Amino acid sequence: MRNVWAETGNYKTDYRQDSSIFATRLEQLSLIGFLLALFLLPLFLSRTQMFVADLIVIYALAVLGLNIITGYAGLINIGQAAFMGVGAYTAALLAPGLPFWLTIPIGGLVAALAGAVVGIPSLRIKHLYLAIATLAFQVIFEWIVGHSPLLKQGGAIPMPRVVFLGYRVGYKNHYYFWYFVALVVLILLAFAFRNLLRTRFGRALVAVRDNDRAADAMGMHPGLTKIFAFALGAFYAGVAGGLYAYFSRAVVIEDYMLPVSIKFLAMAIVGGLGSLPGSFFGPAFLVLLDLNMEDFANWMKRLGLSYAGVDIASAMRPLTFGLVIVLFLVFEPRGLANWWRLVRNYFKNWPFRY
Amino acid sequence: MTYFLQLVISGLVVGSIYALAALGFVLIYKSSRVINFAHGQFIAVGAFVVYALVAYLGVNVWLALLLSLVSTALLGFLVEKLFLKPLVGQPIISVIMVTIGLASLIDGLVHLTPLGGGNFSLPKFLPEGGIAFLGVSVSYPQVLAVFLTAVFLLAFGWFFQRSTLGAAMRAVADDQMAAMSLGVSVEHVFALAWAAAGITAAAAGFIVGTISGINLEGLVAIGLRVFPVVILGGLDSIPGAVIGGIIIGVLENLATGYLDPLVPGGGTSEVFPFLVLLLVLWFKPHGLFGTEEIERV
Amino acid sequence: MKRIATLLAMVLGLALAQEVHLMWSGAITGPTSDAGKYYAQGVEDYCRYANAEGLTGGLKIVCETRDDQYNNANTQRNFEEALERGDPAFLGYSTGGTLQLKPLIQEVGMTFIPASYHIGNIDPPNNDYVFLPIASYSEQVIALLEYIAKEKPGAKVALAVHPSPFGRAPVPDAKKAAAQLGIKIVEVQEMTKGLDYTATLKRFANEGVEYIVYQNVAGPVATMVKDAKRLGLNIKHAGAHYAGGPDLLRLAGDAAEGFIWVTSYYMPDEDVPAAAFVRKLGKMYQRPADTLESVHYPSGMLAAAIAIEAIKRAHKAGKPVTGDAGRAAVYQQMLGLDFDPGLAVGPVTYSKTDHVGVDKLRVLKAQGGKFVPVSEPFQSKLFRKVHYGK
Repeated sequence: MRNVWAETGNYKTDYRQDSSIFATRLEQLSLIGFLLALFLLPLFLSRTQMFVADLIVIYALAVLGLNIITGYAGLINIGQAAFMGVGAYTAALLAPGLPFWLTIPIGGLVAALAGAVVGIPSLRIKHLYLAIATLAFQVIFEWIVGHSPLLKQGGAIPMPRVVFLGYRVGYKNHYYFWYFVALVVLILLAFAFRNLLRTRFGRALVAVRDNDRAADAMGMHPGLTKIFAFALGAFYAGVAGGLYAYFSRAVVIEDYMLPVSIKFLAMAIVGGLGSLPGSFFGPAFLVLLDLNMEDFANWMKRLGLSYAGVDIASAMRPLTFGLVIVLFLVFEPRGLANWWRLVRNYFKNWPFRY
Repeated sequence: MTYFLQLVISGLVVGSIYALAALGFVLIYKSSRVINFAHGQFIAVGAFVVYALVAYLGVNVWLALLLSLVSTALLGFLVEKLFLKPLVGQPIISVIMVTIGLASLIDGLVHLTPLGGGNFSLPKFLPEGGIAFLGVSVSYPQVLAVFLTAVFLLAFGWFFQRSTLGAAMRAVADDQMAAMSLGVSVEHVFALAWAAAGITAAAAGFIVGTISGINLEGLVAIGLRVFPVVILGGLDSIPGAVIGGIIIGVLENLATGYLDPLVPGGGTSEVFPFLVLLLVLWFKPHGLFGTEEIERV
Repeated sequence: MKRIATLLAMVLGLALAQEVHLMWSGAITGPTSDAGKYYAQGVEDYCRYANAEGLTGGLKIVCETRDDQYNNANTQRNFEEALERGDPAFLGYSTGGTLQLKPLIQEVGMTFIPASYHIGNIDPPNNDYVFLPIASYSEQVIALLEYIAKEKPGAKVALAVHPSPFGRAPVPDAKKAAAQLGIKIVEVQEMTKGLDYTATLKRFANEGVEYIVYQNVAGPVATMVKDAKRLGLNIKHAGAHYAGGPDLLRLAGDAAEGFIWVTSYYMPDEDVPAAAFVRKLGKMYQRPADTLESVHYPSGMLAAAIAIEAIKRAHKAGKPVTGDAGRAAVYQQMLGLDFDPGLAVGPVTYSKTDHVGVDKLRVLKAQGGKFVPVSEPFQSKLFRKVHYGK
């Protein structure tokens, strides 16, 4: 009789077991523990730290979407921030009339629609040409917002305070409230992401990424698959955008411009492209790195290690951001997710070496 | 009619600057299939080196340009050896991201110097005004831009057609395996392409810096503007870069001249090239002159 | 022995002095960093100076400049951090960041001084706690239009603005003011950083434009001014605070000659105490020449000076200067602030209804490679009429 709690290797005997969500009971247990820890996290954090936690969770959602498009379907997307913006602006326009638990999903759906439209060129163009087509979408999005009086031409559209179960969320618990909302959404959508690969559609995505002609010959429809990948990834971004709008209390174009799209790509890469845990590690790592660089630079400034006309802090942030991306790609192309895998395997096989 | 002519001529001039900037892109892509998001930073570094030499060391502008060409060539060479060589065989996205990381890294390094923020301009070395003909006027820095673009194009044209090294580079672009089996050093060719791209970037930076001042943001932005150009022309076609540059330059000007008054606020030149780009890609998925990839299952 | 004693006393005094933190969050890198870089240095230097010279009423004011890379999320986080630490006031920067933070600023009641002079910052809603250091972009542009109307009645004007909320800010007020002044605004053009503005300029010329008024940053303005000169167009140029200044002269050279500019700050080479003070500080803290020349350096100083003055007064009035009570006390002082830090062309005055510090502006003209004042400091009456209807 094997002990399901103390498995130290791979005991799978059929396909059904192989495609289960959790490999072992222990993994299931540790996941529950981890989620519990995430929910208890606010007890230990100050409001500023909660801000950072919110940011990471919302970014993780957008990166998850990017991982569907770029990680699984292999379609390079330089417009993820614009999809996020579509969701945010939709939520902002609906917010005066509808509650947040409607505006945010509707924002996601509108973004999905935009994603499907942006996906249309993928029927004809590929690889880098497609990447630039998504860049074109980003530019066109910024231009349209800048020229729409309805959207305040990119200026701030304020978001109202929300009332939840008769309780008005004020500034003292704003970040706590949105942390829980974003976390619940993230967990739901992460499970959806995990399940995606087990579906017919998920396998089609990978097949199309690896070779779309072959996939075509096998009876899949590469065009529709790609469009659907774009729509789904954009849905994640749109939901993230709606959350971001409420979280930052206003929708401003600067939050959805090209540099943010590039930041998402960087997060996906550092985390590990196409990996679910990577979608959390990437945003967490880069956001925290940025903060630490700031502290580091302030510390250098206090020690007088700066010279006239130069702000070390300013230099260190892009410098480390770039350096981290480059180092990861050169030395650990599979990203932080691979470290996670190594650690997990070590514990899984413990006390044996392999 | 003069109005139209002026728009077209100005477009041609701006287009030739785009072409010069795009040339480096294409050189890299053609040989090593890498799209370089740090090209804008290369352009900036080229301009900053010229400025630093002239402003701090009092070097003659032309000598400074020459030194800048050499230093960006070196930069390109080093970048290839240090960062891109380890990535041979990795997926496209990794290669793109490494150049994005590089862009950020170079930004940071520039900010470590006093030239990071701020606007600077080169001391005047060209006469005031410009050339006027048929009621159309072109400034001297713009004339210089066209001239430099022509020089570089001729030089590269000669290099690829006539020199042994150029032939080797073409061979690598054509078929890496075949080239390697015939004794061409692919590594050597890659590094050389990056160095050549560095040279054209410095030239473009010098021109842009002369025309619109030296500012990190502004110079880097040129790198972004070049994307529609190279995609339109076809990523691996040198004539494509030139024609794409000129088409985008002229389109931008025509949009400003004729579309802007119709749109409240104007600014159509920013998005018009991208719209045209999408349209062209729909009919020609590899740009106007790009090589069609033959895919096999 | 005596020296040691004084030193000891000083160290003790400093150690005992209550610490108050003051944060500035703006773009030292990224878009607009060509202004933010010098602004940050102004904040830092004035703060050091105020502490050293005892302008802080016995408080130790710890100033911190943060680079938010023109990214609102960073600004928001910095603001939260300041709020949580109990800072009594906050120095902001960009239009986007300020507009986004307004609801939060209102809710927590934190005095907020941005570097963006967007009128929307101090217009309702949520406008009680935002204070502009100098007159708004709208007032600046209207002041320019008034000057143009005097110079050439019935002139045809084009507005060339930055493609952002910052650029678009003064457009509605400018249109109304132009109608009153009998000036015709032919076109409002958004301009990006380009290599050649021939098309725009030729179109303006065809439409008979006589003046271009810029609400933009110096880089694109310089290119456009140079292009206009090369094309031999008979168009004059005028610009609001961020469009002109020494940066423009450095970039555009001779072509900037005759450029009309409006600001509330003195020029570095002027023979007035304010300019001498800025020069002194810059030398004292070893700033390079480009910092000393920049108009953004005294701008940063002014913002810091206003916040420090309000904090000092609250402290002198025996009120707490940190935490919730500190924010309220400093805000009360802000409402009654009336002092002259000697950094701009007029005193800083605030009240419940007036959230503009230095109300006066001067028109300057580029002559012989520098900006020379062509008007006395004045307030635009028309702006008040157009914007507030009074």
